[in-house]
Amino acid sequence: MSLLQEEREIILNNEYVDNFDFAEVKEFVTNASKDLFISHHFKNKVKDKMLVQPRGGFPTYKKQFALNEFFVKANVDVLPLTIDSNTRLNDYATAKKMLRLSEENDVDMLNGYPLVNHGYRTTRKMITHFNKPVSLRHGTPDARLLIETAIASGIFEIEGGPITYLLPYSKNFPLDKAFLYWKYVERVCANYSELNEPINRESFGPLTATLVPPSITIVIQLLEMLLSLEEGVKSFSVSFAQQGSMNQDIVTGAVIKKLAKHYAAEINCSDATINLVYHQWMGAFPTNKDYAEQLINIATVIAKMVGADKIITKTREEASGIPTKEANAKTVANTQYTLGILNGLPTIVDEEEEEILTLEVKAIMEAVFNDPADTLWRKVFNSIKNGIIDVPFSPHIINHNNMITIRDAQKNIRIIKRGNVPIPDRCYKYERAQCDLTKDTTSIVNDIIHDIGIMQ
Amino acid sequence: MKVVTGVVGNDIHVVANRLIDLSLQARGFEVFNLGVNTYLEEFFDAVIETGAEVLLISSINGEAEGWSREVQLLKSKYKKLDDVIMMIGGNLVVGSGNAEDIVPRYKGYGFDIVCHQVDLNTGLDSLEAMIKERNL
Repeated sequence: MSLLQEEREIILNNEYVDNFDFAEVKEFVTNASKDLFISHHFKNKVKDKMLVQPRGGFPTYKKQFALNEFFVKANVDVLPLTIDSNTRLNDYATAKKMLRLSEENDVDMLNGYPLVNHGYRTTRKMITHFNKPVSLRHGTPDARLLIETAIASGIFEIEGGPITYLLPYSKNFPLDKAFLYWKYVERVCANYSELNEPINRESFGPLTATLVPPSITIVIQLLEMLLSLEEGVKSFSVSFAQQGSMNQDIVTGAVIKKLAKHYAAEINCSDATINLVYHQWMGAFPTNKDYAEQLINIATVIAKMVGADKIITKTREEASGIPTKEANAKTVANTQYTLGILNGLPTIVDEEEEEILTLEVKAIMEAVFNDPADTLWRKVFNSIKNGIIDVPFSPHIINHNNMITIRDAQKNIRIIKRGNVPIPDRCYKYERAQCDLTKDTTSIVNDIIHDIGIMQ
Repeated sequence: MKVVTGVVGNDIHVVANRLIDLSLQARGFEVFNLGVNTYLEEFFDAVIETGAEVLLISSINGEAEGWSREVQLLKSKYKKLDDVIMMIGGNLVVGSGNAEDIVPRYKGYGFDIVCHQVDLNTGLDSLEAMIKERNL
């Protein structure tokens, strides 16, 4: 028995798992409907139609089923399954208790679907019933049991990664452990991918959604892509969120697509399919629900300009908490409508910005590869530890927090202090030249506060 | 002048914490930022360790209300903390409340400066005023 299979048996021999039948799950994946695989839809898109996916998860089977019915009526392309926060922290006992309370009292006691507690036999019934691809949304550093349960349920897109699910969400979960736990996830996804259509892995590009410059976003997307491909994953989505400037989004989209292909080829993985996902605005939303709809609509237009393969939607109730199924489905219908009428868009290329961003990303990637460690994950780990990669507004203790960013007059995010990140001098000078840096630091801090909340 | 700062309890809201750090530095303070998700003991230990003159605790989700009740008791277990300026700011209750009730309550918990939903620079101005007043 392989070491991986030994580890799998330990993980799945858990008091919250009801007898995991490896052979039966293998047979299910082998014979599963192609419609359940988002990788199949990416490959066979009609007229390059962007896939639309909302977010959403409720504690009980009944409410999740009802939410999915609403989404299907709104012409959804990809169903979400958002997992509750206890499951994300591997606290299945609390999730179990809260699920029972939710079922008995008709009040939601969890902020998502506790997949491990429901189990794969139950969840699979819902997923095969709707016969739409499902995307797993969570935020789990140790997602080994969760991913096994998800794939056995028929969920063939797994979001997350060791960096993007840790640096924005945790203060002190050990980063080296996260890399090893995610290595397991990549391998399991790669192995199942050999049975039918590939399992798609997606990275979480929005990170802290707070003034993260595109160079940092792209570097982290590329590194999680490489960590996934080197384990044998054959379908991967890089992603980023609306940044606040249409031009910067278009430039980011062009550079990430170009460099994803480039770096995949460098490790002889050109046979993998790389997709681009765009998140509607992930920062603070306006409380005025009509304004929120305008913001969502603009994001859809930009996603089309960027050439995204999938868009992930927000709702008009974003500022007030977990949205109702009605509001959530409404965004799906509206986004599909907007996509349907967006025709004849111009092609915009900003060569100067593309060149600057490409140079920045390549310089950081080179610094990561030059780390003396023996494996890629150790190189990445060291690079985060020594500040070569620095994510603005990450709460994690390992993050340096020495990079400072601000918006220029066009609302592009610019780096005004690079910390230990190896931004080339020429690019750094260019970025700073776009901003008014004659102000004192107190006024700059006030500008930053304003720049974070531009959409409110 | 040394300041220890951080967000109290299981609160993970990091944005304001980073901005407090930057603003304090801009005003010439030496900042020891413990970040989000910090417990009272960690704050007091850091003040002793660094010899800070100011402890600035912040809260976004309102957890501060629960934790602050233990400030006096815990502080009494440490020596040399009597002269430290104790400041707290942010959103200091779960749900909503008004400053006229909240400020005296927190002063009773042992804080010298209490800023409930006060603009960051206004809050830091009052800190600098107190430092001047005490001739530190």
